[in-house]
This record gives sequence, structure tokens and C-alpha cells, in this order.
Amino acid sequence: MMPPPLLEARRLAYAYVGGTAALTGLDLTIARGERLAVLGPNGAGKTTFLLHLNGTLRPAGGQILLDGRPARYDRASLAAWRRRVGLVLQDPDDQLFAPTVAEDVSFGPLNLGLSDDETRVRVEDALKAMGMDALAGRPPHMLSFGQKKRAAIAGAVAMRPELLVLDEPTAGLDAAGAAALLTVLEGLHAAGTTLVFATHDVDFAWAWADTVALFEGGTVTVQGKAETVLADRAMLGRANMPLPLLAELGMAAGGRLPRRRAEAVDLFRAMAGRDG
Amino acid sequence: MASIDRLAQTSPWRTLPLAEKALLALGLLLLALVLPPWPGGAIVLAVAAATAIGLAGIPAAQWLAIFAAPFGFVLTGAATLALGWDSGGFRFLPDGAVAALAMVLRSAAAVSSLLLLSLTTPATDFVRGAQRLGLPPELAETALATYGFLFILQDTATAMHASQAARLGYDGPGRALRSLGGLAAALLPRAFERARRLETGLAARGFDGRLRVLAAARTISPIRVSAILATLASVAGTGLWAAWR
Repeated sequence: MMPPPLLEARRLAYAYVGGTAALTGLDLTIARGERLAVLGPNGAGKTTFLLHLNGTLRPAGGQILLDGRPARYDRASLAAWRRRVGLVLQDPDDQLFAPTVAEDVSFGPLNLGLSDDETRVRVEDALKAMGMDALAGRPPHMLSFGQKKRAAIAGAVAMRPELLVLDEPTAGLDAAGAAALLTVLEGLHAAGTTLVFATHDVDFAWAWADTVALFEGGTVTVQGKAETVLADRAMLGRANMPLPLLAELGMAAGGRLPRRRAEAVDLFRAMAGRDG
Repeated sequence: MASIDRLAQTSPWRTLPLAEKALLALGLLLLALVLPPWPGGAIVLAVAAATAIGLAGIPAAQWLAIFAAPFGFVLTGAATLALGWDSGGFRFLPDGAVAALAMVLRSAAAVSSLLLLSLTTPATDFVRGAQRLGLPPELAETALATYGFLFILQDTATAMHASQAARLGYDGPGRALRSLGGLAAALLPRAFERARRLETGLAARGFDGRLRVLAAARTISPIRVSAILATLASVAGTGLWAAWR
């Protein structure tokens, strides 16, 4: 028998105070080990959905299933849930509160009940993984935005969650910062962490996601393999989203669709050689 | 506040134990108060300034800029000791200049002693120190969170002010008052919203009402403590010897 997915949303509905419906009967499945991009325009319900993945928001309708079992919202269940699901908010200032980066990163492991020695190891490992070990003693207000972002992710990574949820992880980062962040996320994924990230950047999702859930008006219009969903011009068009640039170039070239920039360069070099 | 915080955060002495720095600074402060102002006050002033600039790495220009503000108040106070007012106008009081100079020396020495501590110690270390001395953890955690929050709020206010100014919001006193009022009114709900989001971020990492973090351990060095005591003894000895000579 197939094991149940790590996390599943069934007919999820949520409305903010004032009646604005943010989620309207949303279905979505998160399989173990996958990199899932939650893709959609602003206001599609991406962030609201992410806040349901660790129990921050409780659905008004429908349910979240963890390992096939309905999630519970009592204090102990929420604590157990959040041990398994880490969340990184879009704005790192919403997460960093301690006097120094290292102290902030130690907050999660200490809340897991780890000893000081074990916490110290977790903090060092997480900071090293995020390339932040040299800034461990720096106060958050003296960091650049990219550094803050990496510190915030280190705070979640130090808890070693099974599933790491990131809201717009590359927003506000320059190209080098985004590339460095992706390298770190690759490492986490290679180590077995399931990753879910919200983005409105089709190129980022195309380069990086295994599966994509396309959000529109508070629901998922389609969930499937990235190379299928993101190469469907009509489907993306209905959500007012463009084709990824590399996919469009690949289609224009009439060959396979390159997922990464290096693949595209190889493809066009080969074409240039053939034509020349 | 921001410049003091930045200097304290980047000072090479930042990682030294608070107790050692407090021993030196408060020891110098005590000497500034009990030694004869001349030459004791002058010696304390020289030692505190030289230590801050020479050993603790505070740039001289910045030390002077920060020192100038309280020193301005000291000079104003000294003027009231040196000058009197009667029907003939302002005049120098007998012995007024001596009393004013003594007050200036003593106060400048005291200020420089406290600057030595405040320019090498982040505010958060003071809160931690107060916690070790019995400040309830709830208060300490609130103070630490507020400290971090202040800088975010300051950044927000600065950005909003720049945006208002770019749209001529400070062109004239009437507009400036209206813009400033609008800025203050907008900051409050933003602060609440920020606090709500911060709680979401903390909850995701297992927040249960306590803000537990692992602070870096700083060991008190007997060698440094001995050096501090020797410095204080030298300053006290020199000050007394020179006064009684």
C-alpha cells in the first residue's frame, strides 16, 4: 500500500476578518522529498495557504492531513506539528528578534528541548550551511536584507524540519544572493528535506521545482510536474502568468526545453554550431 | 542612539565580559567622584578617553562627537557657578572660576568613564547583566525584543519620512506638522501588524511564551581583572600623590 503523502490539504477554505475569502476549497498534496512551487499572482492565496501548513491559521472549512491523519490544533499537537514543519516568512524582520544572529538561530532548537551543547552544534551547522557563520555575533539590525534572509532561514533549518516552507524565498535578493540561497536549498533538499515555496516568479519555479501548484482566486487550478504545468501556455495564461523564459526560448528553438540557464546556453551553442 | 549602538556592536571590546568592563568604568567613575578634581579628574578623563580610543577601538572623532553632547550641558552648568547676575549685569563670582573648573573636570571624567562602558557594550548586554542581577526574565525578554523592534520601527519611520518629503510633505511648517502627524498615526498600526507577524514567525519555531536563546558564554579573566585593578590603583595613587605633593 502506498504511504500517505507527508501533508495534504482537502477542500481548504479560509476568510479573513471582514469576509475577504482567501482560500476557496483548495486541494493540494505534498509528497515526501519533493520541491513544490506554489505559484500564482499576488492575492491568489499563496501566503494564506502556507500559514495553514504549520497550523498558524486554522481553516474555516476543509482540513489538513498530516501523514494521512487530520491535523489537530491543541497546544501539544501544534508543537509536534511545528517540529516537523518549518516556516520562513517573506520578510525576515518578522522572524528575527534576538540580539545576535546566533542567539536567534538558537531559539528554535532550545524550544525543541535540546541541550545547550546540542543547540550550539545545531546553530553552528545551520549558520555554516547558510554561509552566515562569520556573522554569528552580529545583531540582526546590522545585516543586509540578504543576510537577514539567510539568518531567518538558518533559524528554521536549525530545527531540522522534515518539511521547510518558504514564502517568496528569493524576493528582495539580488542575483548573487538568490543563487547562493538556491545552492543552500539544493543542499537541504539533497539531505532529504521536503521544500515548499511560494513564488510569483515563473522562471524561478521552472528552474527549480519538481512539481508546481498553480494558484488562482484562492484555489489550485492545477498541480503537476513542473515541465508539464509550466510549459502549458494556455493554462498559465488563465492565471495571467507568462511562460518561463527558458521554456519559451526552447519552444521557439523547436528542441527540448532547457530548465537551467547553462542548459539553454548549451542548446543555443549547439544550434549555432549546426547552423554555422 | 544609533551611533552609540553601532560603536558598541562593532567594538573589539564587545565580547569582553560585562563585569570586567563595568569594574573598569564604574571604578573610574568612583575615582572621578572621590579624587580631588585637579589632577585626579584630569587623570581619570585622560585614562578613560585613552582606553576607549586606544584600546577599545572607538574612533577619536566619534568619541569626541558623542562626548560633546553631555559636555555641553556640563559647560552650561559650569557657567552658572562662574557667573553671577546683579544690577550691573553679568560678573565673575569670587572663586567661581575655580569651582566651575573643578565641576567641569569632575563631570568630564565621570562622563568619559561612563562612555567607556556604553560605547563598548551593546544595550542587550546590559539587559542580560540586569537579568543576572535579578531582573525578571519576562521584563528582560520584553526589553530585548523591544530593542530589536526599535531599529525596524526607525527604518520604517525614516523611509516614510523620505517618501513624504519626496512628495513635498515637509514644504512649510503646516505641511510638516500634518505629515509628521500622519507618519505617527501610520506607525502605530504598522507596529501592531509587525508584532502580529513576529508572533507568527516565533510560533513557527515553537514559541511557548518564553524567548529562550543561547547567549554566548564570556569567561572572566583573572589577568584582565588584575590589570583593571592595577589601573584603578595607579590612577587613585597618582591622583592622591599629585594632590598632596
